[in-house]
Amino acid sequence: MLVSRLGSRLGRGALAVWLVLPLVPLLLWAAADRWSAPALLPQAWGTTGLAEARAAGAGPAAVRSAVLGTAVALLATPLGALAGRALTSGALRAPGLVFGVLLSPLVLPPFAVALGLDVLLLRLRVPAEVGLVLLLTVAAIPYTTVVMRAAYAAHDRHHDEEARLLGASAWRVVRSVQLPLLAPAIAGAAFLAFLVGWSDYVVTLLVGGGRLVTLPLLVGAAASATGNDAQVAVLALSAVLPPVALLVVIGSIGRRARR
Amino acid sequence: MTAAGRSGAGSRRATLLVLPAVVPVVVVVGAALTSAVLLSLGLTPLVGRPELSLDAWRATELGTSIRLSLAIAAGATAVATVVGLCLALAVTAGARRSRLLATLSSLTIPVPHLVGAAAMGLLLADAGFLPRLLGIAPADWPALVGGRWWIAVGAEYAWKESAFIALVVAGALSSRVASYTETAALLGAGRWARFRHVTLPLAAPALAASAAVSFVYTLGSYEVAALLGRPAPEPLPVLAVRLFTSIDLAARPQAAAVAVTTSALGLVAVLVALRSLRRLAAEQ
Amino acid sequence: MSGSLQLTGLTRVHTAGAAPALDDLTLAVPAGSCVAVLGPSGSGKSTVLRLTAGLDTPTRGSVHLDGRDLAGVVPERRGMAMVFQRPLLFPHLSVRDNVGFADRVRGLPRRQVRESAERYLELVQLGGFGHRPARALSGGQAQRVALARALAAEPRVLLLDEPFSALDTGLRQEMHELLADLRLRLAPTVLLVTHDPAEADALADTVAVLDAGRLQQLGPMRELYTRPRSLAVSRLLGGRTEVPGTVAGGRHRSALGDLELPAPAAEGRGVLVVRPEAVTLVAAADADARGTVVQVRRRGLRSLVTVEVAGAEPAAVDAELPPGQEAVVGAEVGLRIPLGARCVVPLADPREVASAHDGQR
Repeated sequence: MLVSRLGSRLGRGALAVWLVLPLVPLLLWAAADRWSAPALLPQAWGTTGLAEARAAGAGPAAVRSAVLGTAVALLATPLGALAGRALTSGALRAPGLVFGVLLSPLVLPPFAVALGLDVLLLRLRVPAEVGLVLLLTVAAIPYTTVVMRAAYAAHDRHHDEEARLLGASAWRVVRSVQLPLLAPAIAGAAFLAFLVGWSDYVVTLLVGGGRLVTLPLLVGAAASATGNDAQVAVLALSAVLPPVALLVVIGSIGRRARR
Repeated sequence: MTAAGRSGAGSRRATLLVLPAVVPVVVVVGAALTSAVLLSLGLTPLVGRPELSLDAWRATELGTSIRLSLAIAAGATAVATVVGLCLALAVTAGARRSRLLATLSSLTIPVPHLVGAAAMGLLLADAGFLPRLLGIAPADWPALVGGRWWIAVGAEYAWKESAFIALVVAGALSSRVASYTETAALLGAGRWARFRHVTLPLAAPALAASAAVSFVYTLGSYEVAALLGRPAPEPLPVLAVRLFTSIDLAARPQAAAVAVTTSALGLVAVLVALRSLRRLAAEQ
Repeated sequence: MSGSLQLTGLTRVHTAGAAPALDDLTLAVPAGSCVAVLGPSGSGKSTVLRLTAGLDTPTRGSVHLDGRDLAGVVPERRGMAMVFQRPLLFPHLSVRDNVGFADRVRGLPRRQVRESAERYLELVQLGGFGHRPARALSGGQAQRVALARALAAEPRVLLLDEPFSALDTGLRQEMHELLADLRLRLAPTVLLVTHDPAEADALADTVAVLDAGRLQQLGPMRELYTRPRSLAVSRLLGGRTEVPGTVAGGRHRSALGDLELPAPAAEGRGVLVVRPEAVTLVAAADADARGTVVQVRRRGLRSLVTVEVAGAEPAAVDAELPPGQEAVVGAEVGLRIPLGARCVVPLADPREVASAHDGQR
């Protein structure tokens, strides 16, 4: 018993290290002015990385990424919600096929879709920004559909029927019963869609042709150069912290809804 | 109103609800694939006359890249599956510390792969954090980043995808596994028997599905291999993007051929996974 | 295979400072007997089973099986099996593999596991269902398979946690008969938890009434019905008539008059409780008390009438009339309460008395 408990404690520790270890050098480098090998900790702390990242245009790039993520979330979440509702209504013909079609962007590599569509978008003279939002929305639809389909499947239709019998109109039921009950799922779906836009690299690279500089593009450019580890760390962290903060907010929405 | 009429209206309404999502997906996916196939066959060149040709399919080192991509995806997914299952079990075990582990695991989800790649670079490079932690001089440290075995690339995918697999599997297990394992314990099943006969079969569908999604994602993902890999040989996505962005316009059909190949591999992988999932479901 | 179970001073405090979920329970389950723990929801009755099974650890007290202390013994080594309210059949296994689960994890050869599983399936009248997937069963069938699975583990004690509560009335009756039949054939030691007095009556030799974590009364069901020790027990068993009064010299004085008691009772204030089945409506001349019918409710062929008896402290007495006898609201009737059916319980909540007693110590 003691041995197994010790084993499980060691196992948990190893798993925690596995999850956290890759992020440790990121945090240390972000606050390091000088950190040459083989020192375990930086020799000089400072904000050089931050200054370099700002000089590289991290601010505007972050704004562009946030706009892109928000646009994708605003489009993909309602589309996924409608599809999820239709898929669980039982009235749809061939729901399996429709679900399969909606999941197909998961199977196709984003670079392949971007590469195939790039030529077409150029020929049709679609602005790069519009094309990018369209492509990333399609990439996000599988996530929002899966989340909303599960939420609608778990949603007890008796609540809706009860509300109808109490005199609520169909639209009123959606607003006063379904939306509040589904709020955590909607928040979760929107978060995933935001992530697709916020963290995309290769589609922006190919469709934007390098003119549209988002935060991931800055991270990629900095990381493929050498000798600016502090700047890489600051850029990488600034690409992680907003979604993590969002996740915490959404988690608290979910907890409040469960109460 | 007759029952048939009503179900017809319901079905029309459901179709209308699903169309706003289906149309862009079908248009984008269909147009992208068609366009890529046509381009790879030389039928829609940016300059010059369209002419059916298989040159693009012969020109590139497709075979090597396919093998390399499959190997990286398989290795990373295998590690991610094992670690992800362990994580899911630890998270659903119900001990007090499992909440910390669950939080750490869910905080890994929003980290972009690109950031993961940058972090793995800082961790595993020869002057990285891990050799410093272990007290190994840069000269004695194996080439994990940009090395022969694609260790840093595999490690990044395994790290990120293990958290994803853990999330899916823990979600599938959390609501029901406790009561089933209690029942099994009362029927005399020890730790290992409970894992082997109850937990693992209950987790299997979610585990297989999430592993398949990870595999396909890893197969088609560009940035990690581009950042942490070596210049040659190239995995499929890196090869395709390099060809596509090269100054030589003649390389574009080759890039399209690589893109079509990667898509086809992903599709095959998904079909294989679906078959095994159906078998799992039939066993249940 | 049947063992004898002894619970001693079993206590479980979930959050320090809060009232214990289970408080100092001592209970013996002799080999081959069936003991029911009867209580309302939240009374701590499921805690009894979880502590016995080792799924939860007692704050104090012990569980002994055949004289051996089970402290620190993991659930899988306790030789117990449990049937829950939900069947909890393993969804990935067939019916046969579910029933054979215990043998399988013991490492018995497949053939033997299979034969034994079929035998137990026949025992619960589901022979030939072995190949079916566990999901393809109805609620009643699934619960029978769960019972067969528990029995096939050949436990020394069988724990039943409200196993038939989710079934409808007809199925529940069938399950009661099945369990009675299984007890005759296999004589397992059974510890049953239920909120239904009728179920405890149908299945158990001895019943322990639990309320708010404390054992209220222990005895055969007949005795609990006729001689409840407290208002809580009387109410839990469906007692409706509660007539406050005073006990003096072996007699209870109240609005019903001066009634002789069959057994000595504590002097002073006391509540007379009587089962409705025992009370009869009679002509005024033979009556112990007289009153007015204020309410009549149907219970199948019988009717349940409430008779109000006037006095300084008015009393309401419920009587269940035999089929054929009728009463109308407003009628003046005489009440007859047989000597053996009269029982006096303390007025105050026994818990308050107990805590006051603790305070004095």
